[in-house]
Amino acid sequence: MRAERIAARGFRNLVDFDLTLPPAGAVFLGPNGHGKTNLLELLYYPVLFRSLRGAMDSEVTRFGDSGFQLELVVRTPDSRCVVGTTFIALGKRKQITVDGVPPERRIDAVGQWLAVAFLPTDLALVQGPATGRRQYLDRVLSLSSPTYLRTLARYRLALAQRNAALRRGEFRVATAFDGPLATHGAGLVRQRYEWVTRARGWFADECERIGEPNTSAADLTYRGKEELIDPERWPLILAECAGGDQQRRATSVGPHRDDLVLSLGGRSLREFGSTGQQRSAALALKLCELRALGERQTAPALLLDDAFAELDRGRQERFARRLHESGPRQIFVTTPRLDELPRPLELPIWSVRDGTITQAGEGVPS
Amino acid sequence: MVGAIDELITELARLPGIGRKTAQRLTFHLLQQPSDQVSRLAAALTGVVERVRPCGECGNLSEVEQCGICSDPTRDGALLCIVEEPSTVSVVEKATSFRGRYLVLGGRLSPIDGIGPEQLRMGLLRRRIEAGGLREVILATNPSLEGEATSTYIQQLLAGKGIRVTRLARGLPVGGDLEYVDGVTLSHALQARQEVS
Repeated sequence: MRAERIAARGFRNLVDFDLTLPPAGAVFLGPNGHGKTNLLELLYYPVLFRSLRGAMDSEVTRFGDSGFQLELVVRTPDSRCVVGTTFIALGKRKQITVDGVPPERRIDAVGQWLAVAFLPTDLALVQGPATGRRQYLDRVLSLSSPTYLRTLARYRLALAQRNAALRRGEFRVATAFDGPLATHGAGLVRQRYEWVTRARGWFADECERIGEPNTSAADLTYRGKEELIDPERWPLILAECAGGDQQRRATSVGPHRDDLVLSLGGRSLREFGSTGQQRSAALALKLCELRALGERQTAPALLLDDAFAELDRGRQERFARRLHESGPRQIFVTTPRLDELPRPLELPIWSVRDGTITQAGEGVPS
Repeated sequence: MVGAIDELITELARLPGIGRKTAQRLTFHLLQQPSDQVSRLAAALTGVVERVRPCGECGNLSEVEQCGICSDPTRDGALLCIVEEPSTVSVVEKATSFRGRYLVLGGRLSPIDGIGPEQLRMGLLRRRIEAGGLREVILATNPSLEGEATSTYIQQLLAGKGIRVTRLARGLPVGGDLEYVDGVTLSHALQARQEVS
């Protein structure tokens, strides 16, 4: 899978453009604050039709503009499709199209374009709170399975309604949402457990390849109530939590409270890992995402935002080798300095200055 | 643009399914019509606002205190169909041979939008329960998450009152093609399959 052409208007600080993209990808080179990450954000936008940095569409719109528009031509070995988004800030209206036609549901457009983004903030996946790891799981599973994305949307709605009723002190109304909460919640928990069971081996393997040699085995486990896989068990568990839920005015049990536990040699990486080990684990998680998405589609593209800057020389080389070994795929990399890039990642160089993108020169294809 | 024209465009654009462009087209269309035709439309709008009220017994739209269905002695008062909106009453009336009475909730539970039982016509429902004589309550709320939760809430209210509670079946549209049915509907239909022999 590769992006063949991209066009955008009104997106962040980027000057409106319509460009044909190199099949191998490109290095976006330019000083910090000139729009490199915005360009990666744009390339990732049609993956889930939202900002990879969690920004609202109105924030993504160029300051003073009435909205933004983007179009991406996606090519796979046997198909070609055009995904587009038009956002109008007035009334916050967003229209997504696939080959010019709005899909019945937004969910139907997800999966046409797949990419995995490596960001400097990924370290928070290991160091940070559980929210980031749950978002990671939800993203990977949503992109791997359309049923997961639908179930997640329904679960979130049921949870939001239940919590709103609890905040209003209407416990009886809150329990009216227990049925959908259980049905969809059980679906999420089951798919998460199944995925973690499969991804454990991948995670250990990736940590071994990227981390320092001769370190202990890494592991990935799911922390949650396993009985919640069965929707029949939910009424009893929700009833047990009823008192606390009423007091806290929020639902205290369910997949929205679960976590992904990363460990090395049996010890929590979050609490006991060195920063280097944590960086390796964060990269390993993203490589697991790459493997998971690769199972469903042709190789997803890679978006690397200054991903090598914080790594020591050894990790840089092992990571670059690993990406190279993961097979041919389109790669877009941002960097302020070319000497920060390891050798196997040499790609055509595009310059990004003051939001203007220009082809700066040709490198050796990866 | 002239103030009055802009005002009409803004008001029309508030209607469901009408964007600003359509509102503009409608406004200019109206301006090209004979004035008596436009006056009839204005009078009809005023008439609806002035004369139509919710029925005091069921919440359905009516021009009198008690709507035609509630005042019809031939209808079965022991059979109550609960719906979210008045538009559902006319759909059920046109499409089925239902001869019971209705209760129009005026919406569905949605705490995130600030809609709890107090914002719906649960008071009318309690009155109907207390008055006695109900044999069956049919829950005909929409098959959305909020509609289902509203039904569950009413089901809880009716529990232990000796009233039969039923809800509309979920399944396949008549004349449809299985190929085009969404997965959730098909899974409901499979669960609620019926014995044929």
